[in-house]
Amino acid sequence: MLVLLSVFLGRNFCSTTCFRSASLHFLSTRPASYMPTMESAEEESLHDQSSEEEAGELSDGELQEAFSKGLLKPGMNVLAEKNKKFVNNVGGLKQCLADFRKDLPWVERLDMTNLPAEGVLSKPEEKVPAGINSELDADDDFQREMFFYRQGQATVLEALPLLKVHNIATKRPDDYFAEMAKSDQQMQKIRQKLITKQMILERSEKAKKLREQRKFGKKVQIEVIQKRQKEKKAMMSAVKKYQKGMTDKLDFLDGDQKAAKNSSDASKKAVAKKGPNAKRKYKDQRFGFGGKKSGKKWNTKESFNDVSGFRAKMAHDKGARKGKGGNKNKRPGKSVRRKMKGRS
Amino acid sequence: MAASKRKRGGEGPADKKGKFVVDEGEAQVETKKATRNEVLVPAPVSMGKWTNKERVLIFSSRGINFRTRHLMQDLRTMMPHSKADTKMDRKDKLFVVNEVCEIKNCNKCLFFEAKKKQDLYMWISSCPHGPSAKFLVQNIHTLAELKMTGNCLKGSRPLLSFDPKFDKEPHYALLKELFIQTFSTPRYHPKSQPFVDHVYTFSIADNRIWFRNYQIIEEDASLVEIGPRFVLNLIKIFQGSFGGPTLYENPNFRSPNLHRRELRLAAAAKVREKQMVKELQKIKRKEAKEDIDEDVTADVFVTPNEEKPVHIQTEPPAPKVVKKNKHKAFKRQRMQRGRR
Repeated sequence: MLVLLSVFLGRNFCSTTCFRSASLHFLSTRPASYMPTMESAEEESLHDQSSEEEAGELSDGELQEAFSKGLLKPGMNVLAEKNKKFVNNVGGLKQCLADFRKDLPWVERLDMTNLPAEGVLSKPEEKVPAGINSELDADDDFQREMFFYRQGQATVLEALPLLKVHNIATKRPDDYFAEMAKSDQQMQKIRQKLITKQMILERSEKAKKLREQRKFGKKVQIEVIQKRQKEKKAMMSAVKKYQKGMTDKLDFLDGDQKAAKNSSDASKKAVAKKGPNAKRKYKDQRFGFGGKKSGKKWNTKESFNDVSGFRAKMAHDKGARKGKGGNKNKRPGKSVRRKMKGRS
Repeated sequence: MAASKRKRGGEGPADKKGKFVVDEGEAQVETKKATRNEVLVPAPVSMGKWTNKERVLIFSSRGINFRTRHLMQDLRTMMPHSKADTKMDRKDKLFVVNEVCEIKNCNKCLFFEAKKKQDLYMWISSCPHGPSAKFLVQNIHTLAELKMTGNCLKGSRPLLSFDPKFDKEPHYALLKELFIQTFSTPRYHPKSQPFVDHVYTFSIADNRIWFRNYQIIEEDASLVEIGPRFVLNLIKIFQGSFGGPTLYENPNFRSPNLHRRELRLAAAAKVREKQMVKELQKIKRKEAKEDIDEDVTADVFVTPNEEKPVHIQTEPPAPKVVKKNKHKAFKRQRMQRGRR
């Protein structure tokens, strides 16, 4: 059953060393499905296995004989194995099934064949292959398990009415105590595990929320502080403006109603009002551009008759000269100075 | 209590027969106490109705590991019509299993075979002359796993659910019949419970048969998995029990040994390639380099330079002005900052 292909490479076939290496090479690359050792020993007897005989065929003497007969051509001969035929005895299978089948009523077998059911809440992400020909991807765990689940569901939905017809109950009454497949201890363990899982989840949720809150709280705190600082700054600047007299409205005080602040400011302003203003006012009045004018610089009857400012000695030139007379350090005149100069 | 039973003269065995029915635990005990004055407890309603005498022998060969053992135990729990047997020696040929089945009066058999303490093969066969099949079992999860939260009555009858793909091919149809006969609990079996509260699903994906076991919770078909679960990879179907002509061989089956061997070969091939490359490089380096022949025409375009005047320095050269690097401090700072 071996088919020898001859590959022409221009080498002399008779060099046995070359062929030996080639034979070893192809023996190692023969697919193992060809070898009988992989399957259990019992099946060996079931195949007509002839690879052992063929291994014996590759002895030098026989090969040389074959070459001389003309069965083998020159060049490198590589073993290629025939495509292994897998047994599929359809007729035999059907016959066997016919013999083996037991025609029991459905109630004995309770078997159903159905496609997976479409759930009431079938979500679009499920993508369960519904058709009979659509391939189920065994690697997509979720899809696969949902397929099995839906298949089971479909069976149950179909079978329950049939069971009712045959008076077979599916619901266990509450007072029916019997041994369960899993012991109570096992169920306790399962319950514990579920509870711990739930608790862990809750705890992690809480921790996450707390972290979020803290971050959020920090943000809020910072915002409040900044707001307060801004307000304070605005207030101070408004007060200063008022102090300097740029604005004479006290509207900014209406915002925060602090009584002490109010009173202190009022007294300060009162003092500030009376002081410089009177003097300023008088001067403005006499010399400045503002204030009452019209005839203030002219004499009136009263000011004419007012002789309180009369000094007789001054009027008759008898008073002590303030600083103008008796200047002993008076400088001589030009001619005197010239004469003096000439003399010296 | 046993003594009082015997005193009544022959009631003991009769009572025992009465208890033969579905065991209703506490309820049964109460009825017994109530009917102590009666002569006979009436026989159960289902007496004599158990006609489908199907018995499955579940056992294994030596060399199985804990998971397989638990799987076998789980199957025995789920199937009340099963019987257990001791481990079979590997020395015995497989057809000995048929004899064991006959001794135990079983007509189906589930035989687990472990090879190399790694691979698990499962034989399912109909014992006297029927067909048999060999599978490779993978992805075993047992009842004891905590992720499977369902529970069912011990020995309750299951619903069997099959993929429509089972009807498409003849070999799958034969397997379906085999599964039905093996896994379905006979009606009125003495150890069975009258309620149907779980469902087995057999589905085909990726050329393998996937087995799941679900508990039916509500009437609207909400299911919870009970377990066990496993995947069967068909190898061969035989006409006889544990022997006989091959009816079907799975072309997609690759033996686990082969698979492991291929992996190992691939790894070895990689290493060998790397070594070869290294050796080639070594050889190249150590090769004697060829002498290049002198080219006579190489000097054609060579032109000599002009003569430069020879300048003898009498004075020492002016000292080089060393420019103070103003940025040195910054650079050092920068580097320190970077290191920090």
